[in-house]
Amino acid sequence: MTAAQLQALPLQDAPPTWTRRLRGFGAVLPALVFVLLLFVVPVLALLLRSITEPTLGLGNYAAFFAGTTYLKVLGNTFLVASLVTGASLVIGFPTAWFLAIAPRRLAGLLAGIVVLSMWTNLLARTYAWMVLLQGTGLINRALLGLGLISAPLTLTNNLIGVTLGMTYIMLPFMVLPLTSAMRTIDPSVLQAASLCGATRWQCLTRILLPMLSGPIASGALMIFVMSLGYFVTPALLGGTANMMLPELIAQLVQSLLDWGLASTAATILLVLTLILYSLQVRFFGTRSTA
Amino acid sequence: MKRRTIIGIAAATFGTALVALPTTSLLPQATAAARSIVFTSWGGTTQEAQKTAWVRPYTKASGVRVQLDGPTDYGKFKAMVESGNVGWDVVDVEYDFAAQAARDGLLEPIDFSVVKRDTLDPRFVTDHAVGSFYYAFVLGYGTKHFPAAPKSWADLFDTKTFPGKRTFYKWSAPGALEIALLADGVAPDKLYPLDLDRAFAKLDTIKSEIIWWSGGAQSQQLLASGEVAMGQFWNGRIAALEQDKQPVGIAWEQNLTTADMLVVPKGSSNRQAAMGFIAAATGAKEQADFAAATRYAPINLGSAKLMDPAIAETLPNRHEATQINLNMAYWAKNREGIGKRWYAWQTR
Amino acid sequence: MLLTYSRLGGLRFVLCGIGLTVGLFLLLPILVLVALSFGDSQWMQFPPPGWTLRWYADLFDDPDWIFAFLTSLRIAAWVTVLSVALGLVTSFGLVRSRFPGRETVRALFLMPMILPVVVLAVALYALFLRLQLNGTELGFVLAHLLLALPLSIISISGALERFDPSIEDAAVLCGASPMEAKIRVTLPAIMPGIATAALFSFLASWDEVVVAIFMASPDIQTLPVRIWGVLRQDLSPVVAAVSTLLVALTAVLMLLSAALKKKDVRA
Repeated sequence: MTAAQLQALPLQDAPPTWTRRLRGFGAVLPALVFVLLLFVVPVLALLLRSITEPTLGLGNYAAFFAGTTYLKVLGNTFLVASLVTGASLVIGFPTAWFLAIAPRRLAGLLAGIVVLSMWTNLLARTYAWMVLLQGTGLINRALLGLGLISAPLTLTNNLIGVTLGMTYIMLPFMVLPLTSAMRTIDPSVLQAASLCGATRWQCLTRILLPMLSGPIASGALMIFVMSLGYFVTPALLGGTANMMLPELIAQLVQSLLDWGLASTAATILLVLTLILYSLQVRFFGTRSTA
Repeated sequence: MKRRTIIGIAAATFGTALVALPTTSLLPQATAAARSIVFTSWGGTTQEAQKTAWVRPYTKASGVRVQLDGPTDYGKFKAMVESGNVGWDVVDVEYDFAAQAARDGLLEPIDFSVVKRDTLDPRFVTDHAVGSFYYAFVLGYGTKHFPAAPKSWADLFDTKTFPGKRTFYKWSAPGALEIALLADGVAPDKLYPLDLDRAFAKLDTIKSEIIWWSGGAQSQQLLASGEVAMGQFWNGRIAALEQDKQPVGIAWEQNLTTADMLVVPKGSSNRQAAMGFIAAATGAKEQADFAAATRYAPINLGSAKLMDPAIAETLPNRHEATQINLNMAYWAKNREGIGKRWYAWQTR
Repeated sequence: MLLTYSRLGGLRFVLCGIGLTVGLFLLLPILVLVALSFGDSQWMQFPPPGWTLRWYADLFDDPDWIFAFLTSLRIAAWVTVLSVALGLVTSFGLVRSRFPGRETVRALFLMPMILPVVVLAVALYALFLRLQLNGTELGFVLAHLLLALPLSIISISGALERFDPSIEDAAVLCGASPMEAKIRVTLPAIMPGIATAALFSFLASWDEVVVAIFMASPDIQTLPVRIWGVLRQDLSPVVAAVSTLLVALTAVLMLLSAALKKKDVRA
């Protein structure tokens, strides 16, 4: 498996025949039809309102880019998504590593906790974090009691609150794929490398990380993209100064009923994300994004 | 991750789910019989109280079944009306939304041959909406925080005498801007049209101290946990905390009244029954029972004398001396513009 | 070496420390919920001033909680099955062939994940109202499938890309039919990816609230919709009691499967 991973046999690299191409397309077709009918058509119908409401034209787009408000919110959105992705990666990598190689009992215990946390309702978990992080919350009281701080830290209604709460929710999306990928790596590859004189650091950075670049990239992609669309947790744990675009869109849709401007904001977020995605495909190749 | 563990859990889950499968069909169900309407409200204890005080007696008297749905969602409301496939017959909404929705043609007019207009508090009746219950925005505070109790909206902005975090309603709605202007010394009769620049400037002075509440329950949690020292609350929420013996107090000075409204979405297929339900829900006894359960005030003028005096004492209609009615005609016209400015200001 | 626990040396303790810290981090809110569910403060005061079983009594008094639980479970189960099946076929198409426009198609599959979910909810709801699918379980399943499919495709195609197709070709050369080779060779090898896809798909439906609020009707309410209403309106610790019971149920299922596995090993 491992040796084969590094050098693929030529059979599948032969230029694909037409039948093969068609067969591939046929396999994609059911999902494609599903997404076209249930996503593309209704969403396009809604997003078109960005140029038809209240009047035909680009007025909503002009309004979006006119003030600094929407741009700041857009910036917040990408900032928080990046922070959450980064934090999930930094915490998730060693966690997955531990899960992949620790003795069965320990790994089983941690795996159990991961599943338990995912299975608990998201809103309930978010409220629990509110209780923990408030000025009068458990964490602040513990720190005050231990004499580590003299005044309560502000942990909610700011960037710390959002990042923490969202990382908590997103972590499994990094840990799970990474763990199963690590399990498929044959430890003897690393043994071979160290026999040839590689240091641990070299083993980690030159062999382990490159072999895991695929799952890392796909986990990061899932987390980043999901973070862009979330609003329940940020609305409860973040302050209004860290407002993200989805929350603003929710206000426009549900409170102000301005679907024209809401569609505008959604279109802009969608287009920007797709641009980022295609840049990633261009620079890192498709392999690492799947 | 233990792969076997996951598979084990998945298998067990599906076992359970598949056993439960045959109970409901996956296919669309036939629409309910005509003798049934859907009443949508906000969920939780408020809806429970509406069920007990309004729905049960109405069904008993009329034989019309009332199905409860919720939570109220204005986006869902609008999409429903636009499509013409209207599944809700009576909806509990906020007053300012009712005003905007009437303007945008999303509501059926109220049939006043069924609903008796003259028995209702005229402040909370319009051509397209009838009050569901009325409440006041009041100054609520934790009694442990200060040696002397705060009394007025001006105290809410005085962080020197009354230090601590503040809390306000997060959504753009009538209330907070009026509070800021009153605290800044604007006379109640000069409140409208709102001087927005002045209101936002006043709010700016305490902005860093504000923690926003987005639902009534959250406002209670913030005050009960001591996270905030005082703020703008719905009176019923503080009343519930007081009943639970929490150390909190209310200042009624210049309390701001508004109401939740009952509306019928345009295109409702059970318009007639919906009007009947609204008439019943706004009856004197029904309103009195609901008020007793929630500490929000009845909008039926005949309810007061049906109520236990001890409870009636705690309702907002006993504090009419300095009461100010939020001006919904003004809000109907300016709701969207103010809303955009409000959210933009919040993110700053 | 790096992937052999017993030979990690000092690093082993660092890794173990991180693992335990993360475990604690994940466990903390759950412990808070468990404590709140037995606490007698309605306002989520923590630590609770006293203890009570009242919230569990309230919970069992209200059959709607059980219905909501079963509804959520049913919908999530359908979503999981459909999402994995569709994701598997689609991933084979995306990974194993090079048809023109493949990258565009791949991006298209990700888009339901990028679009803020409120916008998706409104768009889908408008469509379902016209198709009379609103307030049906089919509507729920289709809507949640849309959110689950990208997660499924990412997980499975990731596993498929790490699997060397020449092994499958080798099986074909040895006389297996291409389908047989896929089922008996490739499928077991990408099983972890499929399991992950199933778990993520299940969660995408199980924990989803925004689309669910739009799809809900008086007859069909999922657990998150109910929890959302209660948390916004009442903050009732009943929600904590529900969560605690779910955690307990999961823990029991996990212990059970672990015990069964042990038996397997012995037999």
